[in-house]
Amino acid sequence: MSDALTTTAAASVSDGVATGTTDPAGAGRDLDVILDIADLSVAYATGSGDLVAVKDVNLQVRRGEILGIAGESGSGKTTMAATLLRLLKKPGRVSGGTAQFFPGSAPEGVDLLAITGNRLRRLRWSSLSYLPQGSMNSLNPVARIERQFADVILEHAPKRKAELPTLIPRLLQQVGLDPSVARSYPHELSGGMRQRVLMAIAISLEPDLIVADEPTTALDVTVQRVILQTLADLSRDSGVTIILISHDMGVHAQLADRVAVMLDGAVVEVGEVRQVFHQPQHEYTRRLIESIPKLAGAAVGVNAGHPVATGEDDR
Amino acid sequence: MSFPLAGGTSTEPALEPGAPPPEERSSLWERRPWFRYALRCFLLYLASLWGALTIAFFFFRMLPGDPVSTVLQSMQQQYGTTVQASGDLVARYRTEFGLDGSVIEQYLRFMKNLVLHQDFGPSLLSYPTPAQDVIGAALPWTIGLMGITAVLSWVIGVAAGAIAGWRRGRLGAEVTANVAIAFSQMPFYFVALVLVYVFSYLLGVLPNRSAYDSQLTPGWNLEFIGSVLQHGILPAVSIVVIGSLGWLLSTRMLIVPLLGEDFLSYAEAKGLRPSVILRKYALRNCYLPQVTAFGLGLGFIFNGNVLVEQLFSYPGLGSTLVAAIKLQDLNTIMGITSLAIFAVLTANFVLELVLPLLDPRIKGWR
Repeated sequence: MSDALTTTAAASVSDGVATGTTDPAGAGRDLDVILDIADLSVAYATGSGDLVAVKDVNLQVRRGEILGIAGESGSGKTTMAATLLRLLKKPGRVSGGTAQFFPGSAPEGVDLLAITGNRLRRLRWSSLSYLPQGSMNSLNPVARIERQFADVILEHAPKRKAELPTLIPRLLQQVGLDPSVARSYPHELSGGMRQRVLMAIAISLEPDLIVADEPTTALDVTVQRVILQTLADLSRDSGVTIILISHDMGVHAQLADRVAVMLDGAVVEVGEVRQVFHQPQHEYTRRLIESIPKLAGAAVGVNAGHPVATGEDDR
Repeated sequence: MSFPLAGGTSTEPALEPGAPPPEERSSLWERRPWFRYALRCFLLYLASLWGALTIAFFFFRMLPGDPVSTVLQSMQQQYGTTVQASGDLVARYRTEFGLDGSVIEQYLRFMKNLVLHQDFGPSLLSYPTPAQDVIGAALPWTIGLMGITAVLSWVIGVAAGAIAGWRRGRLGAEVTANVAIAFSQMPFYFVALVLVYVFSYLLGVLPNRSAYDSQLTPGWNLEFIGSVLQHGILPAVSIVVIGSLGWLLSTRMLIVPLLGEDFLSYAEAKGLRPSVILRKYALRNCYLPQVTAFGLGLGFIFNGNVLVEQLFSYPGLGSTLVAAIKLQDLNTIMGITSLAIFAVLTANFVLELVLPLLDPRIKGWR
């Protein structure tokens, strides 16, 4: 997954948005923006006027990073995810803003909020993929797992048909599942297994960006840790960019490079995860961090592998 | 009756050294729970078949009136003479129609003839032709008309309903749904009458009675087949028009709540084509109820459709049944009833085996 293509094309049509550094060697990779969200507002039409769920959000996602989005229920995290994935349903609508996306296939950038039809469909999964919450009913209940890999792979990369018998087991193994899972139906799998299947499907076409919406919610703590570890490995090995949405600050502490904190639809704080945890600028961020259960007396370790109290003595 | 089930062997301590391990013996049951399930369904099928036939048999024997005197009466009318019904003659007819002896004896004989020879005895409708031959003559017409229209109604109705549900809220889909609601309650014979009026009476392009041109002799030639098709159009269209509306509405009703399901959003996020999402995700999850209803409906085809057949003078099972009931032709009535029972229960049995393929969550075994 190289972004070397960006160098020449960037000058021509960049829609007024800087594509960041164009250094192909990757020295400035951290500064290279893959998604530039500008003044994004989303509203839901209700009987008594518009309910603004996302307010003037400005956020830049850097290529290869894991950007955490934190905030309590109703803060607009999931609405923003649905908007970026273009899954926002009526009565929701984008009331303003742009989201310039710079995938490997279109280095000059596309506005995720304006693209439609077949252009949008082709961008999906091969460039922009989605990892939903495993406890949701995201897998088709009447199709075997292998079918649910095959349909998306064949849709976007029909030439890989011959590869499927080896590709699907390899993807399943990559997320720590037995290849025999391919023959199962969703209801035969546990919540943790379904979450991993979704993860394997999400990476099956080596996308540039994965939007992960609460990927560990509703899983028990042990499984959560394994899932997070697998996500971290995937991100490290493939260089995929991940937008990680979670209400759980512990998850961000363990996985994210940077974290954005949302409150009532607005981003109130963005920063490196260490900095946000050690010197939170906003009162709300401080409260979120305090809500993480801690081992008695011990501070929360950031990116140290054990941020969440897994302790046996903690009862 | 004890099957070698798993775990049952743990209490047997020492097997002979050379004996195969107990798991081997039970392997068919162990590895193929499907087989056990199919066998259970089949036994249940046989039991219900027997039960339903028995009930039908005694039910029809309880009807008042005597078929033998009906025969004699019809003979008197036919030959214009007064037949002196001597005891011998009555006894002969009773034997021939299987009406001699006690009801239990009659029942045992009926069952034996049914199972061994598929023989229901002579019919009254066209004595002495056996009832099964009378039924056999009407059966192809019924299966042809009702079977083809049932399949067409289902395919057209489900496809249109899927699209109407998928595009709900758009003008075309809403108009279709509301028209369907209005027309689905319309009796189909009204449609048939309108069609007959327009195409036979006003335009004179299509025949409105019989199953084929009576000048032709039935056979596998183009002329005859063409005539059959031409005569079939009006009855078929009137059945399909109304029949498909029911399927349209029920499919739409099943699709609409599915549209909010997570797996449809997920399929959309995958970038699949809308037509693929509709077929493989939305519609695929409606097949269970729709195929079940279709399968059960197929069984009822064998009752014939009396209204269609009367209206178009179509020589199907429905008219045969009505004629047989009028004449108290017990053997023919029993034959048609048995056929219908057999068809409904067989459809049910096949469905039990097929439905787990449509929705893996309803696996009946294990």
